[in-house]
Amino acid sequence: MFINWALQEINLKIVYYGPGMSGKTTNLEHIHSKLDPSLKGDLVSLKTKEDRTIFFDFMQIEVGRIKGKKPKFNLYTVPGQVYYASSRKVILNGVDGIVFVADSQPHRMEANIETLLDLENNLKQDSHTLENFPWVIQYNKRDLPGAESIDVLQKRLNFFSVPYFEGIAVKGDGVFNTLKAVINQVVQNVQNQL
Amino acid sequence: MVQTRKLKDGSRQVILNGQQYEVITKVLTELATKTKASAILFADMSGQLISQRGNTEDMNTTVLSALAASDFAATSEMAKLVGEEAKFKLLFHEGEKRNVYLSNVGDDFFLVVVFDVSVTLGLIRIYTKKAIEDLNAALEDTSGDTGDEEKVIDSDFSTLLGNALDDTFK
Repeated sequence: MFINWALQEINLKIVYYGPGMSGKTTNLEHIHSKLDPSLKGDLVSLKTKEDRTIFFDFMQIEVGRIKGKKPKFNLYTVPGQVYYASSRKVILNGVDGIVFVADSQPHRMEANIETLLDLENNLKQDSHTLENFPWVIQYNKRDLPGAESIDVLQKRLNFFSVPYFEGIAVKGDGVFNTLKAVINQVVQNVQNQL
Repeated sequence: MVQTRKLKDGSRQVILNGQQYEVITKVLTELATKTKASAILFADMSGQLISQRGNTEDMNTTVLSALAASDFAATSEMAKLVGEEAKFKLLFHEGEKRNVYLSNVGDDFFLVVVFDVSVTLGLIRIYTKKAIEDLNAALEDTSGDTGDEEKVIDSDFSTLLGNALDDTFK
């Protein structure tokens, strides 16, 4: 969190984390397509020719002034593919809150777990832990046939009982609820610690 | 140093006071005048733009800061891989019309100088070095801290923010 007292700006960094193809970029694309132009900046995507995120996506959103302060939210995604581990670590620098976008398909369960462990590992290097850090889970792709039940996903992935949301990011379902929840988590976290 | 608080979860909260911001902006203005740089940005290592000078109207400086921060982060990982124990201190991107010179300011901030190829790199280096010293001094100086900074986020704030988010995300 970065506070510029002169401009009354409060900057927060939110990172969308998750396995490859789970819908992290799609979340940002939906937010970008729905927000009023005055409240959002450009969506920048560093992609390969095949449209896979190679480094990150980025956009900044605002909500106007609150008690004279101007909160700005910097949203990032990480590349999900396993071999971009270093890039993921780099994007987490200075992170305030995380959205873990899980893929609901049963055959992606191992990838979800592996990425969650990778996240925990990267957070530890910055002396954070998943147990104490503000984060939420989005179980994405709920519309796909054969999607794993929420019960099973909860048992396997949500071991710290963080807020979770069902999502169909391509249609926008659950996208804003997820973002709102993670922002709430971050703000509450700051309050609790003052 | 700039006011930095570590929260219990390990998060870092960085607060820049008004006086520091004023000095930073002054240093950037001076640097822009002396080097004739097209644009100068000062940002924090997590990618948040703090201040800018020069002809930045047509430039998306928010995105530029985010990209530059990632540039730094990526090259410091590169440094480790090639056996450089410290971080790389500066990055230089050479173009046909414009060059970009990036230099860290302490561990937590950096400076981006965008300039025409007609300006010599030596000139940029000399004035940037001086500017970095001044910026570091400004960040060290905490005499402008008022103590009010701690009250930025109260419960009222989070309720109002929640309402604003509901309106925005309708």
